[in-house]
Amino acid sequence: MFSVKGVIQTMGSKRTLNIWVVAIISLSLLLIGLFLHLSVGSTIMNIHTIFNAIFQIDQSRETTIIQTLRLPRTILTVMVGAALAVAGALMQAITRNALASPEIFGVNAGASLAVASATLLFATLSPSMTVYAAFIGALLGGLTVYVFASGRKMTHVKLALAGTAIHLFFSSITQAIVILNERATDVLYWLVGSLNGKDWTHVQVASPWIIIGLAIAFLLSRSFSILSLGESMASSLGERVQLIRLIGGLLVIMLAGSSVAVVGPISFIGLIVPHITRKLVGPDYSRVIPISALLGATLLLYADILSHFIVYPYESPVGIVTALIGASFFLYLVRKERLIKQ
Amino acid sequence: MIRKKKPNLLISICGIILLAFSFISLGIGSISISPIDIFYTLIGHSSGNSFILFNYRLPRMIIAIIVGASLAVAGAILQIILKNPLASPDVVGVTKGASLFAVASMILLPNALTIMLPISALLGAITVATILLVFSYKQGAKTHSFALIGIALSAICQAGIQFFIVKFPDNVNTTLLWLTGSLWGRSWNEIMFLIPCLILLPIMLVFARKLEILGLGDKVAASLGENVQLLRYSFLSVSVILTGASVAVVGSIGFIGLVVPHLSKRLVDTNARRFITMSAILGALFLLVADTIGKGLMPPVEIPAGIVTALIGAPYFLYLLRREKNK
Repeated sequence: MFSVKGVIQTMGSKRTLNIWVVAIISLSLLLIGLFLHLSVGSTIMNIHTIFNAIFQIDQSRETTIIQTLRLPRTILTVMVGAALAVAGALMQAITRNALASPEIFGVNAGASLAVASATLLFATLSPSMTVYAAFIGALLGGLTVYVFASGRKMTHVKLALAGTAIHLFFSSITQAIVILNERATDVLYWLVGSLNGKDWTHVQVASPWIIIGLAIAFLLSRSFSILSLGESMASSLGERVQLIRLIGGLLVIMLAGSSVAVVGPISFIGLIVPHITRKLVGPDYSRVIPISALLGATLLLYADILSHFIVYPYESPVGIVTALIGASFFLYLVRKERLIKQ
Repeated sequence: MIRKKKPNLLISICGIILLAFSFISLGIGSISISPIDIFYTLIGHSSGNSFILFNYRLPRMIIAIIVGASLAVAGAILQIILKNPLASPDVVGVTKGASLFAVASMILLPNALTIMLPISALLGAITVATILLVFSYKQGAKTHSFALIGIALSAICQAGIQFFIVKFPDNVNTTLLWLTGSLWGRSWNEIMFLIPCLILLPIMLVFARKLEILGLGDKVAASLGENVQLLRYSFLSVSVILTGASVAVVGSIGFIGLVVPHLSKRLVDTNARRFITMSAILGALFLLVADTIGKGLMPPVEIPAGIVTALIGAPYFLYLLRREKNK
């Protein structure tokens, strides 16, 4: 299959970095981020304390904090960041649209609507039921945009506008539910997307879906790069286009849905991380998917660290931080006209 | 196509429907008033209902008409100028900017004069529009970058709004009601803020021809002796002011500016004056209907008008998208 590889590589930009350099740099950024993330909180801890708390479990206060509060939060951050970034990368491969991402495609908004209505309909909602509700919502939102707004004639901009309008629609229903119901504030806080107060149950609920989703995405990465070449090219290379599309869509719903169910709709990770990744390592998805996962996890880690300092000493929801970072980067991309090839 | 042959007739019919419906809407609410009573009260016979009618229902109806017309015209202008059928003040971020500033003033200056709210909403709309223009200026305000920049700005404003909601949870219900857009409790005081709309709407009718020329494309417009950039920016500012003033009074009501221009484009021909008139009438009718449904469906509970417009507007929008796709 050297020809396929050749095609994929020649369609990449001229200056991509060596995959290993990128991988090592992002891994070390991730590791530094992990330590910073564990050490920052209402009290700042040094590396020594963190190591002790993780590996030599004693009865100290620090150990309790790390074991019950910070470790699950850090693990969840890494998983959700990776899941959202890979979901975005998959969507961009399936639709061949540089603007495709869980938030533009209504997946986040749909999942939010479903979770909000489920929370208010059933007084006691178990975390795993939340995930299923989010899956249904994500499917609904994604399908709406896909059925109504994607197609050969839809330019990137039209898709973005359509997605935004559908997003507005879903969020106004969510607002209606919140307004007409008393138990509003919890859902509202959740709607912003926050990692605050997540514990091991949340990790347990989300991790199987995310880990399986990431693994399948990685295993099928070659098919996704062929798919991103276009339908006719892909089928002439012997790829079962519809099947791969379907699997890709299901993976997106698994990854984005379970993330939204646990931490709320965190935006822009799925849009900008695949862009940065492709810029760094080229369009080959067997590289894009793992590097996206790494960079997505890293970005969300640092965003969550930043969220402690926006209104120090109070913590702000991480969704606000990613929206600010992501939207600014998006503005930069638009100005560079990288997104717009009409 | 028959209907396109008699656009003036169609516009008059819609106008009459609007009049009739505004009369009906006066009677609907937590206390229903019969049309005969309304008629007698309006021509001067005082009755038990005159207080409700003159102090609540009448201003509310007038606000619905002006705001609906303004939002629809603002959307129509944007769609012509940006040559993008999916553009509208709410999608492009102007509404979100107005909302962010309004929420900030509601929460940070709770004791300020009531006049602060509309002023800050207008300021927000203008700020976002200015940033939008500055950013897209490099590309000569080209249509697609304009839309994408609008989406990004709107996300930033949304983050700001959420920050306020999370940080100040005490005021959350007022804020939310306002963010959804509602005509509840509006009175004569608020109509004052709509004066810019009352001035700009007729002016738009006068200058509709220029808008039509602009819609033909930059080159054609320039060869007809128009200053394209000046024209575009003036129309944009009209659109921003219409949106800002409307959002200031009723909150961020969505989908009117997006959906109504499409409907009126299908009903009348390409003549911009008729298009604008039709958009204004249908916009007013849309908001009036939405508000009436909202207050009449399960009194005394009111469904905010913004939710009703979204519920009606979004399916129609999806249908439009589908047509756009199959074209």
